[in-house]
Amino acid sequence: MAKVVIENIVKEYDKGQVAVNNVNLTINDKEFVVLVGPSGCGKSTTLRMVAGLESITSGNLYIDDLKVNNVAPKDRGIAMVFQNYALYPHMTVYQNMAFGLKIKKVPKAEIHKKIIETAKTLELEDLLDKKPGHMSGGQRQRVAIGRAIVRKPKVFLFDEPLSNLDAKLRGQMRVEIAKLHQKLEATIIYVTHDQVEAMTLGNRIAVLNKGCLEQFDTPMNLYNNPVNMFVAGFIGSPPMNFIAGKIIVEDDKRYFVNDAGNVKFDLNRTLFSIPKEYDNDNDNVTLGIRPEDITISKPENGVSVEVSIETIELLGNEQLVAFTLNNKTLICRLPSNEQYLAQQKLMLYIDLERILLFDSNTEKRVG
Amino acid sequence: MRKSFTYIILIVGAISFIYPFFWMIMASMSPEKELANLIFLPESLTLGNYAKMFDKIPIGRSLINSVFVASIVTLGVILFSAMVGYALAKMKFKGRDLIFYIIIFTMTLPFQITLIPNYITIVKLGWVDQYTALIIPFLINNFAILLFRQSFMSVPQALIDAGRIDGCGELRIIFQVLFPLIIPTIVTVGIITFMSTWNEVLWPLIVIREEQLMTMPQLVTLFSVGGRAENQLGVKLASAVLLALPIMIAFIFFQKYFIQSMASSGIKE
Repeated sequence: MAKVVIENIVKEYDKGQVAVNNVNLTINDKEFVVLVGPSGCGKSTTLRMVAGLESITSGNLYIDDLKVNNVAPKDRGIAMVFQNYALYPHMTVYQNMAFGLKIKKVPKAEIHKKIIETAKTLELEDLLDKKPGHMSGGQRQRVAIGRAIVRKPKVFLFDEPLSNLDAKLRGQMRVEIAKLHQKLEATIIYVTHDQVEAMTLGNRIAVLNKGCLEQFDTPMNLYNNPVNMFVAGFIGSPPMNFIAGKIIVEDDKRYFVNDAGNVKFDLNRTLFSIPKEYDNDNDNVTLGIRPEDITISKPENGVSVEVSIETIELLGNEQLVAFTLNNKTLICRLPSNEQYLAQQKLMLYIDLERILLFDSNTEKRVG
Repeated sequence: MRKSFTYIILIVGAISFIYPFFWMIMASMSPEKELANLIFLPESLTLGNYAKMFDKIPIGRSLINSVFVASIVTLGVILFSAMVGYALAKMKFKGRDLIFYIIIFTMTLPFQITLIPNYITIVKLGWVDQYTALIIPFLINNFAILLFRQSFMSVPQALIDAGRIDGCGELRIIFQVLFPLIIPTIVTVGIITFMSTWNEVLWPLIVIREEQLMTMPQLVTLFSVGGRAENQLGVKLASAVLLALPIMIAFIFFQKYFIQSMASSGIKE
């Protein structure tokens, strides 16, 4: 297996459109890295550049310390699993898996051995004579993964492999891919727009936005310590709540107060310190709080806020309660043992030990 | 009621197309003197007209020439037009769309306009009275390029990417990965090319003068209008039947693909 280094990579199309802008990533041997971001953020383009399916405008790409910018896809030691499986429809499962090896002129007996081995791992033995048209989506995706495995690549590339499957199957396949990673001890680069997939599968996650890398970190660090509002808003479902406000100084004490003035607390009660330059400047900070950190019971270090309920989504073990604060809809996650009604007034608490503060202009985290 | 009306219309339509063919075949097997009164079946069947025709012209040789020329041209058109169609559909390069529009534009030019320049070229190349004159100018075809381009455009890019990762070059991608997916288009291009090459008269008349190299339509045309048939309609019709037969047989074999392709062109799956 291999280490992949993406160094200052840029992809610019003919019409001047920049799809990937100066992205740097070092993916360690046997690491499972997920590229995540909204549509058009450049995650698939980055993956395709690693695969060699897309040329690199500038920057360097190394696989196992070897610069591969101009190396053909087949010689990069990679295998790719596509969103729509990309199985050759006129070939059987066996032929699909054998095709790449045949071109490489691997001896027939060896091809057969590899296919049987892989088919066993992925429980594909009964499907070897079938054509893709006669299989379900889940089976096809397993074959696509099998086709990648038989190549014994240095790096596996997955391009949104589960997005064509239904929710239940997606869950199953997610577990299978995680198991496979443990078993194969492979370096994997995985693209998805589904943050649940990203959080559950990745050793580290790279969050991309508009072609730029926003943050590259472990799932828990991304969740707890996002570097900016984009990452904070993108990772987590429902997303983090944002409350715009400012920092004021009264009696030598510094307070955060929101625009409507109904959320106010002493900054000394938080776990961080904010640079003084933010004091008494209008609308320059934004408070971020996760839905689960807005509670109905008073935490040790919380600030209360009275809200009016807008809608309630019951999820069984919990409920997502949407409410308006200063004309903005926010969401909190409450236990489902209590029943609430729309339009009901409710006293909620923001856990001050869990809040984050962002610069409203640069959207960077300041506390 | 409405359904039966539709069937009546279809039957009338079918008869109006089939009857002239049927009459031609019957007339070719009927004695010359009975031709004037022939409506459906002749009173006596004879192969005399065919025998006379075989005596007068080297129709066997021309059949071989036609099959040879039409087959090579069809093969060439499928190979080369598919390559161009693939490039126009799936490869990215500067001026790709311009090239495509120019190819489309050439479809609007009548064959007669290029006839003389083409002939001059053939003369300068010294290809007059050679098979090359009948084959090489027709090895690629704008209509086939258009059909292949549209077909390749409907093939998912991921399949091509998968091929590249598996180690395929562009030619292997076209002929091994994508060709099995566009069989109806290949068959359609094959039938149309074979038919049009088979039926071509004007160009062979210009570039081929030696009887041994003549294609069947050329020979039959010269035979019919050149006076060698001695104004005998039965003999002329016998040569016409032989001319039409291979195309009819080909169509019967491939009609499923032909209709499928015509019906599904332009629809993305």
